[in-house]
Parts: sequence; C-alpha cells; structure tokens
Amino acid sequence: MAPSYKLTYFDGRGLGETSRFLFKYGGIDFEDVRIKKEEWPQWKEKFAFGQLPVLEHEGKQVGQSIAIARYLAKKVKLAGNDDWENLEIDAIVDTINDLRLKLVPIFYEQDEAKKKALIEVASKETLPYYLPRLEAVVKKNNGHFALGRLTWADFYFATISRVFLHSFTGSDALADYPNLKASRQKVNEIPAIKKWIETRPD
Amino acid sequence: MAPQYKLTYFDVPGMAETCRYLFSYGGIEFEDVRIKQENWPQVKDKMPFGTVPTLEHNGKVVDQSLAIARYLAKKVKLVGDNEWENLEIDATVDTINDIRQKIIAVFLEKDDAKKKALIEAVKKDTFGFYLPRLEAEVQKNKGYLVLGRLTWADFYFTTLSRVFDVVSGEDVLASYPNLKGVREKVNALPSIKKWNEIRPKTSH
Repeated sequence: MAPSYKLTYFDGRGLGETSRFLFKYGGIDFEDVRIKKEEWPQWKEKFAFGQLPVLEHEGKQVGQSIAIARYLAKKVKLAGNDDWENLEIDAIVDTINDLRLKLVPIFYEQDEAKKKALIEVASKETLPYYLPRLEAVVKKNNGHFALGRLTWADFYFATISRVFLHSFTGSDALADYPNLKASRQKVNEIPAIKKWIETRPD
Repeated sequence: MAPQYKLTYFDVPGMAETCRYLFSYGGIEFEDVRIKQENWPQVKDKMPFGTVPTLEHNGKVVDQSLAIARYLAKKVKLVGDNEWENLEIDATVDTINDIRQKIIAVFLEKDDAKKKALIEAVKKDTFGFYLPRLEAEVQKNKGYLVLGRLTWADFYFTTLSRVFDVVSGEDVLASYPNLKGVREKVNALPSIKKWNEIRPKTSH
C-alpha cells in the first residue's frame, strides 16, 4: 500500500529534515520526494505558495516546514501534554528559527565584502547572543530544549543547526556549547534517527 | 483579583495585537503592559531572548508572538477541530508571517532612495505574489482564510495588514476585496470593535 504521506522537498536536508526525522522516529511510512534544484522551476507552480517543503495527505497539500513538523510531532508523541507545554516548545522552536533567519542572508550574499561584514556581525553579535542563552535553556532542561525531555524542539535544533556549521565561521560554532552539542548528538543517536542518517539519500 | 495573564510589548499594535485581539475576543482579562522606548534597554535584558511580546502566567514567562497567539487561540476556540485543521491554520499563519519578514527590511532601511526601491520591490514581489494567492484562499473559504470559518489566522492577517498600508503608502487591500472583507469582518466582531475603541491610541 502506498504511504499515506508524501513529503516534497529539495534533495538536501535543510528545512525538510526535521519532518523526515519525525517520520522516521515514529516509524511512519512516507514518500520522500526530492526535487533537484535544476528541476525546481517546473515544479514551483504546482505548489500554492511556490515553496517547499510540502506535505500531502489524503488529497490535501500543506506547506510551511515548522507547521508540518508541529503536526508530525503530535503524531509521534514528541509534543507537550497540554497547551502551555506546547507553547513552551513552540516558543523555543521559533527562537531557533529566528537565529536561522539571521544567518540565512550570509549564504545568499554574493558580494564578498558584504558577506564578510555579515559574517562579522554573526560571529561578534548574533551567535554570542543566542548560543549562550540556548545553552542555558538546554542545561536547565536536562539536556533538552523544553520540558526537561525529548520533544520536537530537539529535532529542530539538531537538523537546523547544520546551518551554523556550514563553513561560514570555518570552525565548529558549537565548540563552546557542550549542552547544545550533546543535545544534537543525543538526537542523532536515537536508533531510528541513527539508521536514517546512515541510509538517507544525501 | 489581578489578571492571570500579563502581556508585555511596546506601545504599538505590532506583533502583540493578535494576542490582544484574542484576549478580547475570549473575554480573558489580561494586563496589557506597554514599554516606553526609553525603558526598553533595561526591559530587554530581562526577557528570555531580548524580545517582546512576552506572556507571563503562573510565574512563567514565554516569548514569541505566534506561539503565544496559538496558545491563546486554543483557549478562545479559534483553532481547528483536529490536528490536520490546525496544520492548515498554522501553515497560513506562517505564510502571512513570511510576508511580514519581507516587509521588515523597508522599516529598517534608513537611506531614502534604497527605501523607495525596497517599497517598489515589496509592492511587486511580496504583495504582488502573496496577496492574490491569499485572496484565492479566502474566496475558497467562504470569506475566511482557512477552514471556511473564523480562526486565529484571520486575526493575524487583520492585525498585520495595518502595516501594509504604512509600508507602501497606499490602500494595499483595495484590489483584494475578499482579503479586505476578512479584515472588516474581524474588526466588526463586537469584542474586537470594543477593543479598538478602548485600546490606547497609537499611530496605526
């Protein structure tokens, strides 16, 4: 029987990987559609807001990576036990996303001088502001991002934090943040996730 | 008895207004704390990640406007009936938020010539891309953004759309009657109408 879920994203990790981790963690079968960058122009028009990832289920299509992850997290029981707990998870996920959004322009900047200036700001202001505070959150939460236990916020950080590592600082941005590093390590060692990391296409 | 909830933000609608609307709609009493710009530096350091709005309840503090709005929406029953419906609302809210991200740059630009160019780009590429698509969603959803009924997505769109006109200097929703209809419908709700009458006066 065909999987009841189809996740479409680019052929990479990026914003699709949190959802792939959640599917794998929950043992939920899904069609892992990957679009090559060169094919994207033909595909773009098929999606309401021209963006990926998109989740398809029972004939309906929805976009927005964090919304999709939140939905899947509930299915695989990595959400909160009540509305306030879910608020706490949502808030830290949005904070990690804020950090990601502040770093994204570096990757798109073509002008070398401007890129250098952006990296300067990231290294001197952005990372030193966010990373110690995130480190403190994880320390307070037994090595997790919320509620003192594993939630989809841990998956979000583990997958999105690759953006920090991707060569712009030339060094491991998490070197001074053992709790953040350990949280990501712990996620990657979950058996279902470990297996996925070993076998995933990219 | 003091209100159970304290919402802290600047003295503007901005990113807190959706939450203020939700409190008002649900008849939930809240302390509407508004920070003066000159006090911001001291307040900033007390906030979890130096941002507002924050919500305080039962001794706990959380930040992130949309996370707070989603929590309040559940309390006042402006959410979906199941998880897929909540996903549809969340996706629409995030899409509206994408619009907001793209227009922030206009406010931050100091140079007049660059600002003018950014405004033109926003009108063409942001409003021109997103608004027709959202207009189509509202047409499909009986005058609401999602699920064919009132949800917190309609509140977020309404409060954010104030800013569209400020950014562009024109009536941005003039060519989008269905989107304009959403805003009118939300602002005509008795609880919201009352809130708009009693709220502190701000520039927009």
